[in-house]
Amino acid sequence: MEEIQGDAHELYARTAAKNKRLADWTFVWNVIRFFRWKNISKRTINPPVMIKSYLVVGFRNAIRNGMTSFINVAGLTLGVAGSMTVFIFADQFFHTDSEKENLDRVFEVTNIINRANQRVTLSDTPILLGPAMQDDNPAIEVSTRIEAGSGYVRYNDLVFNEKIWYVDPSFFRVFTFQFEEGDDRALASRKNVVIAKPVAVRYFGFDEAVGKALSIKFNNNRTEEFTVAGVIDPPAGNTLHFNILLSMDVFFDLKLKDQYDWSYLTDATFLLLKEGHQIEEVMPGMERYKKFQNESSPEWMIEEFKFYSFADLTSEGYKIESYMAGPGPAQGVIALLIISTLLLLLACFNYMKISVATIATRLKENGIRKVIGSNKREIMVQFVTENILMCAISIALGLLISYLLFMPGLVSLLGYEVPFAFSSGWSMTCFFVALLVAVVLFSGVYPAVYVSRFQPVTILKGKEKFGQKNLFSRGLLTAQFTLAFTTIVGCFVFIDNAYYLQNKDWGYDHHQHLVVPVNSTEQFLKLRDAASSRKSILSFAGSTTHMGYWCPRASFEQGGQKIEVLPLRVGFDYLETMGLRLTQGRFFDKTIQSDRVESVIVNEKFVTAMGWANPVGQTFEYDGFRRNVIGVVKDFHYQDFYQAILPVLFTIDNDYNFRYLVMKVEGGQVNQTGDWLRETWKKIAPDDPYEGILQDDAFINFNKNNRMEIKFLSFVTGMALLLACLGLFGLVSYNITRKLKEFSLRKIFGATASQIFRIMNRDYVWILSVAFLVGAPAGYFLIDVLIRITYVDPQPAGVQPFLVAIGLVFATVFFTVATQLKRVLRENPSTTLRSE
Amino acid sequence: MKGTNLGELEELVLLTVGILYPDAYGVAVMDEIEKQARRSLNISAVHAVLTRLEEKGLLKSKMSDPTDERGGRRKRIFLLTALGKRALEEANEMRTQLFNQIPKVALQFRIA
Repeated sequence: MEEIQGDAHELYARTAAKNKRLADWTFVWNVIRFFRWKNISKRTINPPVMIKSYLVVGFRNAIRNGMTSFINVAGLTLGVAGSMTVFIFADQFFHTDSEKENLDRVFEVTNIINRANQRVTLSDTPILLGPAMQDDNPAIEVSTRIEAGSGYVRYNDLVFNEKIWYVDPSFFRVFTFQFEEGDDRALASRKNVVIAKPVAVRYFGFDEAVGKALSIKFNNNRTEEFTVAGVIDPPAGNTLHFNILLSMDVFFDLKLKDQYDWSYLTDATFLLLKEGHQIEEVMPGMERYKKFQNESSPEWMIEEFKFYSFADLTSEGYKIESYMAGPGPAQGVIALLIISTLLLLLACFNYMKISVATIATRLKENGIRKVIGSNKREIMVQFVTENILMCAISIALGLLISYLLFMPGLVSLLGYEVPFAFSSGWSMTCFFVALLVAVVLFSGVYPAVYVSRFQPVTILKGKEKFGQKNLFSRGLLTAQFTLAFTTIVGCFVFIDNAYYLQNKDWGYDHHQHLVVPVNSTEQFLKLRDAASSRKSILSFAGSTTHMGYWCPRASFEQGGQKIEVLPLRVGFDYLETMGLRLTQGRFFDKTIQSDRVESVIVNEKFVTAMGWANPVGQTFEYDGFRRNVIGVVKDFHYQDFYQAILPVLFTIDNDYNFRYLVMKVEGGQVNQTGDWLRETWKKIAPDDPYEGILQDDAFINFNKNNRMEIKFLSFVTGMALLLACLGLFGLVSYNITRKLKEFSLRKIFGATASQIFRIMNRDYVWILSVAFLVGAPAGYFLIDVLIRITYVDPQPAGVQPFLVAIGLVFATVFFTVATQLKRVLRENPSTTLRSE
Repeated sequence: MKGTNLGELEELVLLTVGILYPDAYGVAVMDEIEKQARRSLNISAVHAVLTRLEEKGLLKSKMSDPTDERGGRRKRIFLLTALGKRALEEANEMRTQLFNQIPKVALQFRIA
């Protein structure tokens, strides 16, 4: 540079002597001309050779510090594996149905109604809406409706209760599916049926299904034969979970209603727009349909129709009540993403800290490098290259662990298949680039910058005080343990609550209870007679609704206020059989005539809702009758713990309405009685499948979720703890190596093991205390808010989570330091103190 | 390493550096070329060629002692290396050789 400036200056001086202005201009011109790449870029030595040398040096160093390199790579690998698994899961979650074509042109029509001053989006729309829109609107290519139902499907001796979807034949134009057998014209005839692959396997094994006949018994007891015309193996990301598809005409022929007008709501309506048309073109015409619907069903007023693009259903579908498509609520997935990012951060902190500590032993190497002529940049390049190498190894191992361990684990927790693949090459590239950049930036660049700053003179003189009072490294350790405490306390609060709910009293007796759903009065009476003769059945009762399985809501007016209640219609002895706990009054009595019509038994919530001081003997109007309260039962859980308990009223129903027979069975006889019921059922109703259930299984989904959460959170806690301790272990072992001479001297002067241990721990106790004071309350409050949102009736968290967290962390820290202490104590001072 | 054959400008600069020994630096080379070959070069072009020749190993350089001139800045003095000397000799030899091969007749111009 100097010579360039000099030459420019010389020329300027020469010309300026003659002509100042000309000299100015030539000078500017020359300077501009000097801007050549060669002059700007630094001259470096042939890089490939150096990179090879960096890698070799890095590799040798990694081998020499075997333990710490192992901790480094292991920690990072775990973090990467976890975040990769979660990312793939989330990626699949947010890219469902991606294999279907035309998704950008498919829209779901939804109703928005006002329920108790809240706008609620429903996927239920008038059954006439789809065809009407298709006829009126040129922008719509085709529409399809989905009406969900069920029926008994029989093939030879195999009978199962199956979910049935009645759809328009245009279903396959709107949603493109790959047919395993048959093609998309399969539903053109109303005598045809299309089934999902798992259903086909259930009935036909691995034989060809097309052409076989299935007989279906519908809810109105009509039976019809259908020919299988198509089999679809739903792809992994599919969210249209159908088993059996029938033509819409079949549904109309069932005549479950006298007529299907605008007041009848079908479960979902989807539109396929013509290419090049926008959904905005359809919107103006909707006012007309709104009028039709509101005129035909004034008790179900809608506010407006809203359209959801099918692509948006992945992120917004959960807003639609009773959704038929889309992956469901995303909160869980987002929480998972946050947790995995935190874990990855923990791993990166570890890496960063240990790298900085490791560099301590390589200060001389750097000093010599600098003296020989390396500049700051080259030293940085060297360390970054080494780190990239380590990170690449970690990412590769992480991929392997994610594929072999974490993903199968997650799949077994979830209970459904998540393919180990990215939704697109684009998202895969994004993920890996982001991962590498994040990991290298966080864990590689800082140590490199840090170490390249040192002055060679101070290093070689041995004056560089390194890492002794390093605020940054301590800050990192504190941050890391704060994170660990947050996770651990949070997880324990959650797990504690999950256990509490799992063992929570349901408010009634659910052990030793069998429930058999029946389809007709005849079946009920026959089964009841059979049950009454069986000794092991202690008591039994019929009911129309049944807690835990079928309890529809209703509402009634009381003093100008609308009260949402749960009317349970039961038979005599039902409350006694189920073991509900009476607090006041009496149960229903067969001998009292009025009990059949006007007597009701309510729960405590009902009493509070009505504001009664003396509930027994109170009367109120419900469903056209004057009701008389004869008893109050304790609140009980008729549904899982996610929902609040509503006011409940029991009324007596007629035998011919009964849909369930509930039985209380003698202890230890449940299995035999169950088998006996199954056999009896075959005689009573040979055409219908036996669907007997245990009352214990009423919350089976809730309990399954609960157990899944417990397992998962335990795993996360373990990971956080492991990562934090790996980091601590690495750091402690380094500090001790550095202070080995100090400890040896102390030993020579008579320090005892406990004194040395105290000195070793002094730093970490402070760090842990600060981390605990910040992290534990943070975790507690975060999870507490989450629990309050999720569960209606959570357990107030006690001190146990805190105690457990402290205990766990201190125990692991103690163990970590103690293993290192052993090393110090065993070392002979003379070997460490002897100068080379 | 890049190719070692010399370009026309490179050869010119190389020769000039030889002529100016031991005081060949940017501006001097530029002036000498203008004087001898009547080619006006920009100083930046001269620098580029000098750097290129140094990379090829035909020149070496050192910084001179600072003087009062040039605002006290040092000059970068270029010197021929052995390789540079050989390159010049080869180029020279090849030209002579080629020139000698031209038939005499071709060079006898006559005003017709």
